[in-house]
Amino acid sequence: MPGIFTFSEDSALAKQLLTPALELKKSLNQPITALALSETDAKELATLGADKAVFLQSADKWVDGFAEAIYAQVSKAVGSIVLIGGTLRGKTVAAYVAAKLNAGMTTDAKTLKIDSGKLLATRVLYAGLALCDEEVALPAVATIRARTFLAPAAATTAGTVETVTVSGESRITVGEVTPTGTAGVNINAASKLVSVGRGFRKKEDLKLAEDLAAALKAELACTRGVAEDEHWLPIERYIGISGQTVKPDLYLAVGLSGQVQHMVGCRESKVIVAINNDERAPIFEAADYGIVGDLYEVLPLLTAALGK
Amino acid sequence: MPKCLVCYKWTLDEQDIKIRPEDLSLDSSRAKGKISDFDRNAIEEAALLVEKNGGAVDALTYGTATVKQSLKDCLSRGPEEVYWISDASAENADANVTANVLAAAIRKLGQYDLILCGEGSSDQFNQQTTSRIAALLGLPCVTFASKLSVEGDTVKATRKLEDCQEDVVVKGSVVISVLSEINKPRIPSMKQVLGASKKPNEEIKISDLGLKPEDLQPKAVRKSVKGFVMQRKNVIYKETNAADNVAKLKISLASEGLI
Repeated sequence: MPGIFTFSEDSALAKQLLTPALELKKSLNQPITALALSETDAKELATLGADKAVFLQSADKWVDGFAEAIYAQVSKAVGSIVLIGGTLRGKTVAAYVAAKLNAGMTTDAKTLKIDSGKLLATRVLYAGLALCDEEVALPAVATIRARTFLAPAAATTAGTVETVTVSGESRITVGEVTPTGTAGVNINAASKLVSVGRGFRKKEDLKLAEDLAAALKAELACTRGVAEDEHWLPIERYIGISGQTVKPDLYLAVGLSGQVQHMVGCRESKVIVAINNDERAPIFEAADYGIVGDLYEVLPLLTAALGK
Repeated sequence: MPKCLVCYKWTLDEQDIKIRPEDLSLDSSRAKGKISDFDRNAIEEAALLVEKNGGAVDALTYGTATVKQSLKDCLSRGPEEVYWISDASAENADANVTANVLAAAIRKLGQYDLILCGEGSSDQFNQQTTSRIAALLGLPCVTFASKLSVEGDTVKATRKLEDCQEDVVVKGSVVISVLSEINKPRIPSMKQVLGASKKPNEEIKISDLGLKPEDLQPKAVRKSVKGFVMQRKNVIYKETNAADNVAKLKISLASEGLI
């Protein structure tokens, strides 16, 4: 019998996956099985709408190595839908499961529904230039990024919980794991961001942006070029397709042109403000407010004005 | 000395794609092709590994008829030989089809120590191909590498994940995807560009891969594709006096409740 499966190694995201799973259940009337890497997660997921939660117990802790075990669970049910949390590890697992199922997969689905017996998802293309509806025949796999959905409320009846012992990936040895953290900074949580691009001529000049950020009580973010090519700011602060995706109340972009690969990471911001000396820079089309001018002149004036 | 294979995709340069305002359809008539951004990092990494350790780099690509335009660019970036599969099925291929084709071609080409891909293509960014190829070939898979080294038959990789860096070690053949931060792809020198025309390229016919017709049928089908249009206010202050502009912006920020 087919079913709906969810998996994420991230406890918060694992709960969020149950929201689209419950929606799909309304159309498909199939049971939801939540696969989890801890007993605590499994028990909690069983109270949030999963009909069954399975704790995949293993001596091996390497998340990516659970792909085969997840495939083994999912393949017991024919023609299923598998929703996997879209972390980098989750995407690795999801594509493995999809390949083994010989299934289609949609990456970073923003919406999901059943249409004519197929899974219909919305997602971005060309680094955010376009949105597309992608139709996936069942069985189907979809990854969903964190915070795409809210976690569901407690269900009226709790599901069952079981433990299955599985083995991991023996061919890969995991050595040191160093938490990177973001030194206390969570760009995703900041309500205001001042984002810098290569309009700044040297690293020291970022002081102008830091001063403005301080006046606004904002955090500093940047483009890929500033983080990866210039190494002026940590990689964790760069916004864009392969970097962070943020939705602050204010995104103040300084000296960045607004290429689509960057904008996809910030375009859901409530208000976007641009400061750039090139009137034709695409950032102005993407901005609510903007100043055409030299950032070296504008920033000190703006910082002073906001300080008053 | 590692024998490396880099898989790359020839994509449209999204910077040249315009959105038609009347129906939000995409106009790619002026878009030129490029080797997908992150795949250039994969090619560069393979070239660097071989420059350091000896060995060889081949490249493999699957695309429509336009894929031939990529061969010289690819070869100028380091690979000794490029294998290419040109087939109309690539136009609508999903990651399942792409991985089926690439995995079948790799089986035909023989064993490689490292099979390298970019973390995702710059057009679809499915981020599936690496994992799928590994699954189909029954090889271990290391995704999102920010650092790679080879010692004998051992590959060491540092993965960069959302919240940690993870060091992993693999013995024997492995499929790897690299992040863009792993290196800065070279801008091929005139010598490398000229040298590329002397390097071999070989077509692999899709009909020689032993694939069934359904292997080339996408399971994920793009239905409507529409340009993303942002609804923004576009209030731009461009007086010559910067102080006037700043004063106006301050009023705007206040009206939005942001200051």
